[in-house]
Amino acid sequence: MRTLTAEREVEVADELGLHARPAAEFAKAAARFSADVRVAKGEREVDATSVLLVLTLDVRQGDVVRLRASGPEATAAVEELARLVGSP
Amino acid sequence: MRTLRGVAASPGTAIGTAYVYRPDVYDVPTGEATDPDKGIAQLAAALDAVAADLDDAAASATGAARDILDAQAAIARDPALRAAAEPAIRHRAQPARAILDAGERFARELEATGNDYLAARAPDVRHLCDLAARALAGAPPRTPPHAIAPCILIADDLTPADTIGLDPTLVRGIATSGGTRTSHTSVIARGLGIPAVVGVRGLLDSVEHGATVGIDSRIGQIVIDPSTEIVEQLTASGEAERVRHERLRAASGAGPTTTADGCRIEVAANVRGVEELRAALAEGAEAVGLLRTELLYIDRDRPPTQAEQEALLRGLHELLGRDRRLLVRTFDIGADKQVPFLPARPERNPELGVRGIRLARVHPDLLDTQLRAVAGTSSLGPTAVMAPMVATLEEVRWFVSRCRDAGIPSTVELGVMVEVPAMALMAAELAPLVDFVSIGTNDLTQYLCAADRRHAGLSALHDAFNPAVLRAIDLVCRGAGDTCWVGVCGEAASDPAWALLAIGLGVSELSMQGVAIPEVRAAIRAITREHCRDAARDAVLASDADTVRAIAQRLIKEQQ
Repeated sequence: MRTLTAEREVEVADELGLHARPAAEFAKAAARFSADVRVAKGEREVDATSVLLVLTLDVRQGDVVRLRASGPEATAAVEELARLVGSP
Repeated sequence: MRTLRGVAASPGTAIGTAYVYRPDVYDVPTGEATDPDKGIAQLAAALDAVAADLDDAAASATGAARDILDAQAAIARDPALRAAAEPAIRHRAQPARAILDAGERFARELEATGNDYLAARAPDVRHLCDLAARALAGAPPRTPPHAIAPCILIADDLTPADTIGLDPTLVRGIATSGGTRTSHTSVIARGLGIPAVVGVRGLLDSVEHGATVGIDSRIGQIVIDPSTEIVEQLTASGEAERVRHERLRAASGAGPTTTADGCRIEVAANVRGVEELRAALAEGAEAVGLLRTELLYIDRDRPPTQAEQEALLRGLHELLGRDRRLLVRTFDIGADKQVPFLPARPERNPELGVRGIRLARVHPDLLDTQLRAVAGTSSLGPTAVMAPMVATLEEVRWFVSRCRDAGIPSTVELGVMVEVPAMALMAAELAPLVDFVSIGTNDLTQYLCAADRRHAGLSALHDAFNPAVLRAIDLVCRGAGDTCWVGVCGEAASDPAWALLAIGLGVSELSMQGVAIPEVRAAIRAITREHCRDAARDAVLASDADTVRAIAQRLIKEQQ
């Protein structure tokens, strides 16, 4: 089976950015998919399932992050995470 | 005998046996581990158990505490944290050692971001790695200090959880290597009347458990293995202090406070609730000069209702009676005092961010509820209300009109705090808009000297005897003239020598922690207003804090 990949950019809407509770929820959501999910701000890309690494990206409201996933559920993972952090 | 210097945090002297509280010390297993796969599995199990415990604790917690516990649980489950510990375990490190090292790396990375919010997560990471390492090492869980005999408590720093059960009859003194005059340990020590010196560098390397330690917070000094002579001195002065306070306290109860030449000075108490007021009244408090209302907001999922706020105010009015004023400060949330129902955006400089009245302008409904509670209870006794962190006259006008719109009658005095230097400079224009101003010396000093009050390395800059601070207060008093009265509700008011200088500048109300009241009242009664004025005139012209301190201390000495 070929490896599926998905990628998209999204502007973070939450006024807390990816800090505190939103960071924890983001990491938890990323862990639910059968895919290797990464999130990047600028040059730096980290494992999206790690709350600590997501925190260290210091993502604020209005920042654009890049979501990248590979694995059977790559597309679903990217769509779900984009929905979670993006504008409603 | 060895002496170490620190910052005087809570007045008094004490001598006793060192109780060295080292919550982080236990035997982390050393040597090579035999089975890396087993070690990785043990670590995963330990972190899962820590996460589950934190979940349980979070479930029974509310507000800010709950958020912290939730965050710690999420970090305990973080795959990156586990992955960071794995290589060391593969190289046959003990799992406990590996997780402590991995946690430390993450904590440092968070601290290095320069973002206050992220840096504040570093202790969370260290804490939960410590919990996991303890479990792996078969060590008992972290427990707060528990004194079973009279002692001097020696620690790196104390957390709120550490200080809950402190027994002042056993803990005779406190010395910590961290902390500043305004940090948690200092505030708790003053509240309990325990002499304390904080910010003592090298403390834990110098003091052995069971050593004899003397604390002299008058000069911010601790003495390890003191000579017989020093032991006798400290014992005598500790005893003399106790006797003197009892005598002052007995004398304090009677009548109002006036200077020797008959000038009335109101000596009031800073309180958070009924219990603190009861204690302050026993010390001779003549009023409440600062009701901190933040306790109503902290650790809550939703803001307090008008009825809850009225219940607090009613309880205080009942104790105060019909003649003693209750001065309510509207919520001073923001900076170090965050509440869960108002999620704050991480700010680069929270002390310079949206706090005090700035937050009230973002959430005027919260302020209105509080003001309606003041209006609803103002018939019970003399009442005043003031807003914190005001920086412009426009904010003052906004606050006053908000008070009137909330139905606060004209019998209630309206005022603002002067803590932002801009307000001191505008005092003449401010005075006609209000009935009073109250100077918050902690923040005023912090902002005048641009020195974070929680920064241990900057405590020398946080000195209310700095002549610049007195000049600012002089400006406020001159601007106020006879148009509005001027009070002080900062820490400095509880220092009798400083209080006399403030009176000399024209301050007519001093509000402080209850325990400081008897001594300040005695100092005021022994001196004339004229004498204070002369000293204050010299103090504002002085070029440094030491000179001001010497002038103020001369005032105290002369009366003895």
